[in-house]
Amino acid sequence: MTHIVVDPITRIEGHLRIEAEVDGGVLRDAWSSSTMFRGIEIILQGRDPRDAWVFTQRICGVCTTVHALASVLAVENAIGAEPPPNARLLRNLITAAQFVQDHVVHFYQLHALDWVDVVSALSGDPAKTSKLAQSISDWPLSSEKYFSAVRDRLKGFVSGGRLGPFANAYWGHPAYRLPPEANLLAVAHYLEALEWQRKFIRIHALLGGKNPHLQSYLVGGMATPIDPNSENAINIGTIAALHEIIADARTFVNQVYIPDLLAIASFYKEWASIGAGVGNYMSYGEFPDAGGPNPLPYLPSGIILQRDLAHVHPVDPGQISEFVTHSWYEYKEGNERGLHPFAGETHPTYTGPKPPYDRLHTDGKYSWLKAPRYSDKPMEVGPLARMLVAYAKGHPQVKKAVNGALAALGVGPAALFSTLGRTAARGIETQIIVDKMSDWVDALANNMAQGDLRINDNTKWDPSTWPAECMGAGFHEAPRGALGHWVHIKNGAIGNYQCVVPSTWNAGPRDARGNRGPYEAALVGTPVAIADQPLEILRTVHSFDPCLACGVHVVDANKNEIVLVRAV
Amino acid sequence: MTVEIDLLILGLGNVLCGDDGLGVMAVHQLEERYDTPHGVRIVDGGTLGLALLPLLHEARVVLMIDAIRCEDAPGAVVRLEGADVSPAVRERLSPHDIGVADLLDAAELLGCSPTKIMLLGLVPDRMDLGIGLSPGVEAGMPALIDSILGEAAALGHVLRLKPQRGVSDGARLWA
Repeated sequence: MTHIVVDPITRIEGHLRIEAEVDGGVLRDAWSSSTMFRGIEIILQGRDPRDAWVFTQRICGVCTTVHALASVLAVENAIGAEPPPNARLLRNLITAAQFVQDHVVHFYQLHALDWVDVVSALSGDPAKTSKLAQSISDWPLSSEKYFSAVRDRLKGFVSGGRLGPFANAYWGHPAYRLPPEANLLAVAHYLEALEWQRKFIRIHALLGGKNPHLQSYLVGGMATPIDPNSENAINIGTIAALHEIIADARTFVNQVYIPDLLAIASFYKEWASIGAGVGNYMSYGEFPDAGGPNPLPYLPSGIILQRDLAHVHPVDPGQISEFVTHSWYEYKEGNERGLHPFAGETHPTYTGPKPPYDRLHTDGKYSWLKAPRYSDKPMEVGPLARMLVAYAKGHPQVKKAVNGALAALGVGPAALFSTLGRTAARGIETQIIVDKMSDWVDALANNMAQGDLRINDNTKWDPSTWPAECMGAGFHEAPRGALGHWVHIKNGAIGNYQCVVPSTWNAGPRDARGNRGPYEAALVGTPVAIADQPLEILRTVHSFDPCLACGVHVVDANKNEIVLVRAV
Repeated sequence: MTVEIDLLILGLGNVLCGDDGLGVMAVHQLEERYDTPHGVRIVDGGTLGLALLPLLHEARVVLMIDAIRCEDAPGAVVRLEGADVSPAVRERLSPHDIGVADLLDAAELLGCSPTKIMLLGLVPDRMDLGIGLSPGVEAGMPALIDSILGEAAALGHVLRLKPQRGVSDGARLWA
């Protein structure tokens, strides 16, 4: 039995550590740990709830908009503010842009290198690569000359010793399966995706004013005015610019991302039966219709249990609780019972080994993440959960896209419950959302044309309109999955605040009954060819798009070390 | 390369983690007290990673302000330049580990690196959860602001004191 420690899992935010037992080339058990305490809840106590989103926005460098929105929704829910249709449309667009950008960056910049061997790309034949590219897509950058130039550029970079993002990987590992020309194609698109996202990010500036942190959220609506005749508002020119940027994104997703995803997946079909995990999936639903007080989400909410696509259960937020049996916290009434976020407590008590250490005490407490459960069951959240819920509910666009991808790969729906399914669902979701965005832009333009310029419900802005005590919850689907913020307001100030974030659902530890969290469960059974090069572990963990936030970010002037994968 | 910003002053770090946020707090203080001259941009970059690429693309010179760990006492001013910057920021585990070092790599891969990159900051003391600077770092902030002004002046950009101190939401909240 080999004990493997991966700390930190590279190419992700924060401090995630996986400990695993490998025997006979197969992973037998795994423990997922966050080694970094995060406790935004403590910082927020006593503050003005209308400011909370500005703080929660800083929880995470990639998820700024999502924590801002969840916070605003929670406070609106508590005080009874109702954002007007335009505010919902703007929020949908900002959220959708975040999804599209995050998913593309995840695929190319964070996950692709688990499947694509950059060193092999150096020996890719440009003519063959061109032929391959033209066989899978109409994307115009596909000539032999183009791929030859990309190869030269990559060679220059590597021979200059500046491996940069390609430095820390297991090139030549036997689990890499792509032929050199597919690797070269993927590297070319790695570079194109970087360039594309640099341009696409401008959409946030159009919608949110000041870059790079969005300033446009407001409890009750949005702060960015809309006015067809004003230079300093979202106007007719903005509408045209939005349409243009969205059309470009659609082309990139449909002609680059999706064909690459299917082409790469076709070489890794065995990963459609690896990495399933807990088999329970939850989505809060996202992208509310603009009209009405109880808007229906474009992507539906629901729960799927034990991979049963014939039944989708409604989400009852009252069933959510967090366990700390294996987490470095103490609950006042004991650690065997879960607590609902409204009753949530954040009392850190570290009992782990003194760093530096070789092994965590995985029998006891071993993570700074709590273990969220729904009705005492672990839930996977994220693109796969959303696509499964939508698919099972018969969402026409999702059904069509999922069936199309399954047919292209020649696999059945059971293939969705896997590492590959998770990665494919993210691509499908990108396609669904980028196709929907222009409808929201049109709706916004329509409202403007009809003179509806309302962006904010300010009837509840003044704290004197609030009850002395009120509670609210904000449910949002972030790119990484279900995100909830719970706020308790007392005399105009925050009494208690709890966030249950996607990576806590997915990366959390075992609960009081010893049930594994989704990462832990997904890793069991994973083949591991070379114990000290656990590429396969990274594939499954990265398929969840992990994001453990609030890393302490300090520059070290004397050290230069990243690789911390150790076989113990 | 499209150069639209001659000097980008980029504050980095997490304001929720004590002294880690000193770079962000420095740029907010700067914006409150000084007018931003033409050709200069002052940006709170937080812990954003690739989202900063458009800014880097437009900038000729980048002056990053950050917490820098070394043997000096907390609050001491540290300055790194050129080839020393990238290894020093390597350890920053920012968005998806695509931190500042990878942001710089991405710029280089795309052929849009700024012509000059400098890193200026203070040695941090405490970086656990909480808003606000430790006393030693707080005491070093005026020297850091002076150093930023000095670097800008050396590049021909003079930041003048505002007649009245402005109000920045950032400075209000992170103070």
